[in-house]
Formats: sequence, C-alpha cells, structure tokens
Amino acid sequence: MSLRRGTVAAALVVLALYGGLIASLAWFLDPEALARALTSERVLFSIRLSLFAATVATLLALLLATPAAYALSRYSFPGKEAAETVLEFPIIVSPAALGAILLIFFNNPLGEWVQESVARFVFTFAGIVLAQFVTILGVAVRMLKAAFDEVPAELETVARTLGASPAHAFRTVTLPLAKRGLVAAFILAWAKAMGEFGATLMVAGTMAMRTETLPIAIFMRLASADIEGTVALIVVLVTIGLTALHTARRLLQGRVDA
Amino acid sequence: MSLAKLLMPFAAVIFSFTASAADRLLVYAGAASKPPTEEAAALYEQRTGVKVDVVFGGSGYVLSQMKLARQGDLYFPGSSDYMEKAKRDGDVFPETEKVLVYLVPAINVYKGNPHGIRTLKDLTRPGLKVAIANPEGVCIGAYAVEILEHELSPDEKAAFRNNLANYTESCEKTATAISLKMADAVIGWGVFQHWDPDRIESIPLPKAQIPRVGYLPIAVSRFTRDRASAQRFIDFLTGPDGQAVFAKYRYFATPEDAFAWVGEKKPVGGEYVVPADWLKK
Repeated sequence: MSLRRGTVAAALVVLALYGGLIASLAWFLDPEALARALTSERVLFSIRLSLFAATVATLLALLLATPAAYALSRYSFPGKEAAETVLEFPIIVSPAALGAILLIFFNNPLGEWVQESVARFVFTFAGIVLAQFVTILGVAVRMLKAAFDEVPAELETVARTLGASPAHAFRTVTLPLAKRGLVAAFILAWAKAMGEFGATLMVAGTMAMRTETLPIAIFMRLASADIEGTVALIVVLVTIGLTALHTARRLLQGRVDA
Repeated sequence: MSLAKLLMPFAAVIFSFTASAADRLLVYAGAASKPPTEEAAALYEQRTGVKVDVVFGGSGYVLSQMKLARQGDLYFPGSSDYMEKAKRDGDVFPETEKVLVYLVPAINVYKGNPHGIRTLKDLTRPGLKVAIANPEGVCIGAYAVEILEHELSPDEKAAFRNNLANYTESCEKTATAISLKMADAVIGWGVFQHWDPDRIESIPLPKAQIPRVGYLPIAVSRFTRDRASAQRFIDFLTGPDGQAVFAKYRYFATPEDAFAWVGEKKPVGGEYVVPADWLKK
C-alpha cells in the first residue's frame, strides 16, 4: 500500500467514524421534536448562552494564555517547570472533578471572599464562563507555546538589532508567524468550551433560561427519559458547532494564508 | 506482526470489560438510594458471590441509559414517577415491581442551622440562597415544587423564586449543595442528614405541609438476561438483611414508619404534574 493510499484511508476512517456516529442520530430523529426544539424559546436561549459563554471564555483564556505561552517558550524563570507540568491538570482530573475542585475552592476563606466581594460564580453565568475558562486555559497555553516554539528566536533578535523593542518585535514578528498556532488554539479552545459539560454542571447548575447551556439541556432531556428530545438537541449542537468551526476555520485560515 | 495479532490483546481487554458473566448483575439506580444501595450491593456479593454493578444517576437519566444500552437487569428509580413511565413504555416487567423503602421530604440546611431556618416560609426571607433539584428530571425536585405550590401564597412563591439560586441535576447533588455550601437551604429528603451527618441537618416539615410520602420501587428490567438472578437480588433487598442496610441510613421500611415520622397518614407515591412555569419547555 502506498503512503498516499494508506494515509488517505486513515483520514477517511476518521470521517467514517465520526460521520457514521452523527448519521446514526437519524435512527431516533423525530422531525417534530426537532421543529419543536428549533422554535422553543428555551432552546434558543441555550444556543445563545452557549455561543456567548464559549466565546467569552475562549477570548479570556487566549488573553492570558498568549503571554504565558510566550514566557514558557522564551524565558527561564523560577516555577517554569511547575507551570508547564500543571497545564494538563484540567484534562487529567476530568471535568466533573474539575467542577468539584472549583466548588471546594469556593468553600475556603479565599473562595468565600471572592464570591462575596468580587463575583458570584456558583449557580451563575459567571460560573459557566469560569468552568469553561479553567477547562481550556491549559490546553490553550500548551498549543500556543508549541506555536511560539516554532518561531525561531533569531528572527526576534534580528528585529531587535534593527531597533525594535521586545514588545514591538513580539507584535510584528512573532505573533504574525505564530498565527496558524493561534488560530488552531482558538478553534480547539472554543470547541472544547462549547461542549464543556461536567464542570459547568457542577458549578453553574441546570436551570432553564438561566444557566442551561446546550450540553446541559441535552443532559436534562436525557434525565427526563426524553430520547427524541435529546437527539433533536444533539443535532442542533452538532450543526451549530460544526458550522461555526467551519466558518471560523475558513475566515481565519484565509487570513493566515493571505 | 500482522494487524490482527496486534489488535488481539486490545480485543481481549475490551471483551473482558464488556462480557456479561452469569454471576453479575447490572442495576440502573436513581441517586436517591446511593449510600445504602452501594452497601447492600457489596453485602450481596459477599453473601452470594454475585457481583452487582450499579449505575447511579437521575432516575430519568438512568432510564434513558438502560433503554439506549438495551441492557441491565434491574431498574431502581428514586421515586414512583419514573417507574410508572418505565412500566408504560414496557421497559420493566410490571409484575416484578416491589417497594423497597419510603422517604419523606424535608428542608435540609448546613449542620447547626446557621440561618435559623425552621419553616417553609423562612425560605422566602430576602437574601437567603436556596436550591431545589431540577423538577424536570429529578424526583425530589417535583416534590419540592408540589410542596411550594401547595403551601406558599403567590407573593411568597415569588419571594422564594427570588432566592432560588438554581436547580441541581440529581438527588445526590441536592445534598451536596448543602455539604459544599452552594445554597443555604434545599428541599430534599429527610435522609440527607444521614448521608453526610457532619454537614447536613434536616428540618422536618410540619405534617400539614407534606403532600405525599415517596417510595423507592425496584423491578426487573425487560433487558435482563437472567430474570431469576435479578429477582433474587430483589428478594435480598426486601428481606431482613437488605432492609437492615436501608434502616441504617434511616430509610423507612413501611409506610407506617414514615407516617409515624410525619405525624399523620399521607398519600403514598403517585405522579405530580409540575406546573409549566417551573419548567419552561
């Protein structure tokens, strides 16, 4: 088997696996349930909430992850190794455990102070964003660090010898060259935030028209033993999620390639 | 090494996890019975060598799982409502249904009752943070709504909903909401106090405010591959050894025990239709 045929076959297996799973939803898909879902005020609220929370959480995560990843890529500093090690912590502990850890944090004096004096996270919209933010931050830093590692430090040095300040060299040389990594990090982080369920459920609760994101709405439909309703909402989530990602990839990739 | 040889060890491992041995039972259980069911399952295995795997979750959630997985030997929901649905949909053998224990709703607060909550009306006090289970999928949520609808005036209901931080997703989480101080009070089961005695205190509701006594029914699933073995586990749970485990966690063995705790006779089980404004479809 040639390399081309073998690798293309592998790619098609990936497509067949995920595509097959999505197509199998048709087995339980009830057009009436889907129509009801698409016209329901509650579902539309969940869609808006999910899109908004995932976007806010992703932007906040990239805002912190970009400089952090740059520091991890370029500098030596005390605590660097520990900071690197802890990046996969949210993935290792599982979403439910992460949610439990957040709740436990809000039970200690510092957490109580944060809740009383800064913002209330438990059972609120801020709790959704926090759960998603904590879930995606580590992976965003990891991806951005890999992107910055790919940009040769010598290019920054050259820019500096030509008179650019470190910040200017970062903005005009490193960031543009790391664009692909930034785009990939944004897409992955956003998708992960959009589908986040375990930590959100633990921290933000399940109330409709308040903190019911689409993944939580799906869970609550299953919890009511409403399988047709569940499938309708999964179809909505898959459609919105994949369409948004496809559009984002085309727009951002287009800019990167230009 | 051929691909088949390479994959064989993986296939063996996967098979060992999925193979249904004759001496194994799978129970889909509502979380309302988690602590004693875990203990009873371990005891049953010790006595008979039959391993009992229990999947816990919201009663409706585990019913969905059982239907979709098309497997499981027993269905053990947290209330009668979901057993009625399972019977209607033909997911259990109705003639095998047995009531195991009875439950009474109560207000649950953090141990020591720091907010001095004594009655349902106290939950309407401004500034208090309260939670209930999601009435859509969790049985105790529906009980909570029934109590509130029945006992509070429209103004009091509005005040309660003002204090209502959110819905929890399961029976267990309703208790955890107190343990982890996510809410100042919840409407849950009286037994929550015995789930986490260091942190949870139950405030009994006055007898007039308790509309119904709940019960935990169990039945053999229509997906069982060994109906006799599943039935033996039911017999164990309804027998003296199983009942002793539930009694340890203060679940009531008979309706009379529950009535004695409440102070008067009450309707048992049944279904309650949650008003639409609590659900929002």
